[in-house]
Amino acid sequence: MIVTTLKPLDEIMESISPYRKILIAGCDGCTQPPRGIREAKTLKQLLELAGKLKGKEFEFKVTSVVKQCDSVLTTSAIKPYVEDVEAVLSLACGAGPQTIAKFFPDLPAIPAQNSHFIGIDDRQEDKMFDSCSACGDCILALTGGICPVTRCSKGLLNGACGGASNGKCELDPERDCAWELIYERLKRLGRLDLLKEFTPAKDYSAKGWRVTP
Amino acid sequence: MSQTVAEPKVAVNIKEEQCSRCTICSSLCPYDAITQDHENNKMVLDIEKCQVCGICYSACPAKAIDTIYYSCGSVLKYLEKVRPQYKSDTLVIMCKGSAPDFSEVGKLFGVKEFIPLAVPCVGRIPEEVLLGVMVAGIKKINILACDEDYCRFQRGSPLAGRRVVALNRMLEQLGYGPEAITLKRNSLKVKVNKDLCIACGTCVACCPYHAPKLESVGGISFDLDACRGCGLCVALCPAFALDMDNWERERISNLIPQLLAEVKPPKILVFRCQWAYYPPLNGDMSPNVGAIELPCAGRIEAVHVLEALQSGADGVMVVACSEDDCKQEGVSAKAEHVVANIKEKLEQIGLGDKISFSPVSPRYPGQVEEKVREFRQSLEGAKKGAEKGETK
Repeated sequence: MIVTTLKPLDEIMESISPYRKILIAGCDGCTQPPRGIREAKTLKQLLELAGKLKGKEFEFKVTSVVKQCDSVLTTSAIKPYVEDVEAVLSLACGAGPQTIAKFFPDLPAIPAQNSHFIGIDDRQEDKMFDSCSACGDCILALTGGICPVTRCSKGLLNGACGGASNGKCELDPERDCAWELIYERLKRLGRLDLLKEFTPAKDYSAKGWRVTP
Repeated sequence: MSQTVAEPKVAVNIKEEQCSRCTICSSLCPYDAITQDHENNKMVLDIEKCQVCGICYSACPAKAIDTIYYSCGSVLKYLEKVRPQYKSDTLVIMCKGSAPDFSEVGKLFGVKEFIPLAVPCVGRIPEEVLLGVMVAGIKKINILACDEDYCRFQRGSPLAGRRVVALNRMLEQLGYGPEAITLKRNSLKVKVNKDLCIACGTCVACCPYHAPKLESVGGISFDLDACRGCGLCVALCPAFALDMDNWERERISNLIPQLLAEVKPPKILVFRCQWAYYPPLNGDMSPNVGAIELPCAGRIEAVHVLEALQSGADGVMVVACSEDDCKQEGVSAKAEHVVANIKEKLEQIGLGDKISFSPVSPRYPGQVEEKVREFRQSLEGAKKGAEKGETK
């Protein structure tokens, strides 16, 4: 899912300040932590409290969209509010405000979140981890299900650089060496032979900017 | 001048001179807080382990255990005092844990008018109280206990059940009919609105009891036998798809402005875990404080904290058990995390000092009052500081 964090409330206040009637739109889709109706309501309350301190009055409406990255779902969810609001504050990842901007050309779409990466939500560690760079040419079948494009600091495709010590990356001692993880995993699976396969330089044009499903 | 450090006052004591060393207390204590010293046979209470359930107090045949909460004498005195307020000869004694909403309790027993007595665990009520109130003219006693495997004090509910059976047998011999005392069981659990569920899995991840199950086909379901009613999933569900029996979101929301209208500034709203603080029988602590009991601090949700601040609360306190004392598995620590999260957001808009999280235990009476006092002073200090800043 897309891992996001709420923007500093000052920044949100600043970007909504030209408007009074605002729709706060949550997203029930893949944003993690989920940014649904609860987040929308809590944000409304916080912004009302902040507005009161600054002598600024807002009129918020709250809703949540099943998936803000879906043009049909977003259009139908936002449409009933269009007449009543001056702007939409989106709790989705970066795709959300852009969907709104594309299909409601006259409605300002403001992000409430910073989007970080496509990640794993490790509930035990209570942390999210960057795990997919959406490169458009997946090689996880060759790398034991561990992505070197994302998790190796250098994005190397054919084995470790040699700079790791004690399994940690030379560029960031907190970070596991992805290639060491790949080696251990393939060893465990009895597939070290996969390491002999050469992966040519990636064709990043495959990443594309539009795709037909 | 020699300084003596006063021992902190504790809620439970064993009166050595009265103790017959029968060891019933130590055999019943769910927390192994009472042991027998093998050198001198004395019973020793480790107050740090004690969770103040009152089971030992209710069971001691020698009346050698003292408790400051809901002792026999204080309960009887309280009932005598409040009786004229009620047009009823029916007393309902209920475990707080399964009875936050008195009107729901009335429905369970089919009574409209009754004298309510909510205690933390009905297992702490000795025979002496039950017989004492009958002697005082109460015609009917109804007892509401938690389901046996739901009892937060493990042995309280089963003990209350056995006590009622034994007492009824005796009362029947005296001509009081077969069921002079009625005991019912009830447990308050999560409620799911599947229509609102967004299948995010938050409840599955946060439940310490593995009660929720989320599947691609069929969606969310809860194993209600496993649910222990801590309310954490209800407080965290991003879609408001979960609620809790008697501790409904709306019910709490309605209580907030009501309570705040009744208190004097600086208005403090306390959300407290019902096991962290035992309120005195005859009402609450300070004219500045309105209190809402929660089934566990895990039920605290940001929406309610913010509603309180929006409804004119000068500060919000969350009173919880410490991590070690939590009657739910680690939920108090998760509640602390939730509160820290709200505080961090409030700090961003300059209201961070309006919320506090206080772990306390009823084993040290006066702790909550002390925390409230400190919080009130900090609120007043902050207000004075702000006024000074304005006049500059």
